[in-house]
Amino acid sequence: MNKLTTALLASSLVASAAFAEDAVLAQKTDRDVTQLTPTSKAWEYVKATTIHLYPQTTVTMNDKKANAVNKDAKAKEARVKAIYDNKNIAFLLEWPDGTKSVQKGYRSDVYGDGFAVQLPVNYKDPKKLPYIGMGSDGRPVVIHLQKAVEAVYEPNGNGNVGDQQVVLNKNMFGDEVKAYEAKVAKLAVRDYQRSFISEGFRSMTEIKDGSEKFSADMSYGNKAWKGTVVRPLKDAYLSLKGGFPVAFAAWDGAKMNRDGLKLLSTWIPVKLVGQSGGEKLVSELSAPVKGDAENGKNLVMQNGCMGCHYIPGMSEPGYMAPGLANIGGYSTAAYLRESMVDPNAVVVPGYNRNAHPNTPWYNEVDGKRQSTMPPYPLDDKSLDDMVAYLKTLKAEVK
Amino acid sequence: MSKRQLAMVMDLNKCIGCQTCTVACKTQWTNRNGREYMYWNNVETYPGTGYPKNWMELGGGFDAAGDLQAGVVPNIEADYGVPWDYNHDELQFGEQLKPNVDPTWGPNWDEDEGTGNFPSDNYFFYIPRICNHCTNPGCLSACPRDAIFKRDQDGVVLVDLDRCQGYRYCIAGCPYKKIYFNPKISKSEKCILCFPRVEKGLPPACAQQCVGRIRFVGFLDDEEGQVYKLVHKYKVALPLRSDYGTQPNVYYVPPTEAPPKFDAEGRVIEGSNRVPIEELEKLFGKEVHQAMKTLREEKEKRKKTGESELMDILIAYQHSEMFRLDQDYYQSIAKKQGLSLAPIDNRYMQGKNTENKYKFKVVEYE
Repeated sequence: MNKLTTALLASSLVASAAFAEDAVLAQKTDRDVTQLTPTSKAWEYVKATTIHLYPQTTVTMNDKKANAVNKDAKAKEARVKAIYDNKNIAFLLEWPDGTKSVQKGYRSDVYGDGFAVQLPVNYKDPKKLPYIGMGSDGRPVVIHLQKAVEAVYEPNGNGNVGDQQVVLNKNMFGDEVKAYEAKVAKLAVRDYQRSFISEGFRSMTEIKDGSEKFSADMSYGNKAWKGTVVRPLKDAYLSLKGGFPVAFAAWDGAKMNRDGLKLLSTWIPVKLVGQSGGEKLVSELSAPVKGDAENGKNLVMQNGCMGCHYIPGMSEPGYMAPGLANIGGYSTAAYLRESMVDPNAVVVPGYNRNAHPNTPWYNEVDGKRQSTMPPYPLDDKSLDDMVAYLKTLKAEVK
Repeated sequence: MSKRQLAMVMDLNKCIGCQTCTVACKTQWTNRNGREYMYWNNVETYPGTGYPKNWMELGGGFDAAGDLQAGVVPNIEADYGVPWDYNHDELQFGEQLKPNVDPTWGPNWDEDEGTGNFPSDNYFFYIPRICNHCTNPGCLSACPRDAIFKRDQDGVVLVDLDRCQGYRYCIAGCPYKKIYFNPKISKSEKCILCFPRVEKGLPPACAQQCVGRIRFVGFLDDEEGQVYKLVHKYKVALPLRSDYGTQPNVYYVPPTEAPPKFDAEGRVIEGSNRVPIEELEKLFGKEVHQAMKTLREEKEKRKKTGESELMDILIAYQHSEMFRLDQDYYQSIAKKQGLSLAPIDNRYMQGKNTENKYKFKVVEYE
């Protein structure tokens, strides 16, 4: 925290450039954390870490109304807590939301609030973490999603809609119908709670074979949501030890948030208190960014980044390349640097080539995405300065 | 782009707006809860608000540069209409007939209203609409989850319900608003061109049941087929609102035959046509002039010589000839897949191709 305070005393631009998120300290307990809910008393004994959620503005979505509502979306301050036992870890995310929005009823244009917890499969090299927006090629992430959807009607309760039938299609009458409907209702109503494995936008795939055991819950009160996710420290997909990164996302249903229209944190370091390891990762992720943001801004202009990328004050939003309006909010410094030196390291596949065929931000060569951005192998000082500037690009916190 | 494209032609001169197609589709496919309000097939009165309300103004599709346009997701109550039912069972106990919800809007709320002044120049015609199974679908382009796909074997556009997360960008992206949100399962659903029927050699339910015999179904590359002849040989069947840039694959023979207008005394104005050509141009593009010319010329030719292949096709003497579905084609695909029946779309059925897509080795940490 001292580092941060020092940075804040410097000029405003440099101060926000130096901003980094503190580590979440996960406390060890002897009790079973799978019993934890958002309102459990146990959370009161755990110190919260403040994090920030920024509007994800990488790609422009095609919903006219939603775009209008989210035009000047602000960032939010959220609080994270974590507790672990021998087998599982529980996260609590608390984020402000002025309206409780639940997707329910016979409606086509109502969206529920929700939140997600994202964990990288491989976090050995803190400088090569998966892309924050649902991972990237060869750098998969596991995502746990909980949405405020009243009930999802899936006939066999397994998320399978293939064999669903309305009663009119059955040869049944009277009590038979009632019994059938009761059976269907019992089986069909399901919580909108899902786990995904993902290597970037569009590749996200639900884990439906039961191999990912997790539970999630949401609770609303005092104009804020509290959400918990409890999952194993080790399973078929992940092994969480010592220190590891986690990212959070929140959706505001009242603002027609869903999918990419959301608020997203950067990679937040988590330290399992009482376990060794992960120190390098924690320090890398919580270190303030070095570099001269003013000079970085000049370099960004000199190198013509705004020719393809949307940078507030420099260019208009377009389709050519990922928008950078909030890149400083949810990207790590290492990712920004890597993207300039080696644009092919992470090519965000999020944009739909059918939607904007004339402005491809990558081409496929031998089935691999090749970024249309050339590498910028600048000297270390210039890269540091540009990263410092890019880290300033983010919405202000409401 | 798919290897082949299945297409439908609808002759608007013969559509009587009986809604048999609508009912055929509803009875076939409203077999899942949440589909009640959806009309994969509907017949709307033109001019009129259509279904959903003012769908032509709700955005979607592509601009001239090929960029997907933003659109609006319609509201069930205001734009589609909440489906209602009547208390038939209670009538025997002396109850009044009444709907179970207060109807404020529904499909065909303005059926047969049309426009103009009765009896001098009022007019309307019907447009039956299904999903256009576009070559460049707006819904597919809008989906951030790759949940919509176009079948390679026949170009049918389907939703992979396993991948669909109910974001509804597809609805905003479809300029025809022919993809719907199922609020019960929180996923999008749409017309599937009755592919399970087509694969077995049966036409889509809407086409099979059409009493006016207005619907032709076949592959666009089948030069012997009537669909090919209407679309490519005679060029009398035109796509609806092709300016949306999605390259739709449902084609319409424009309404050529309309009564003349009457003057103030109620006398026929010779040579007049009640349906303004500007309206038809808006719907079917500039090509509508040539299409109508061809239709009239062929009609004259038939009158004079008794011969016209085009008129014979449009009269549709044999219902069976209107459908060239090439079951052998599907069977050969099935054989290649090692199946005895129809080719299986795992994606549509259960999204099976996404199961176990990723198999990881856990990265161990010391």
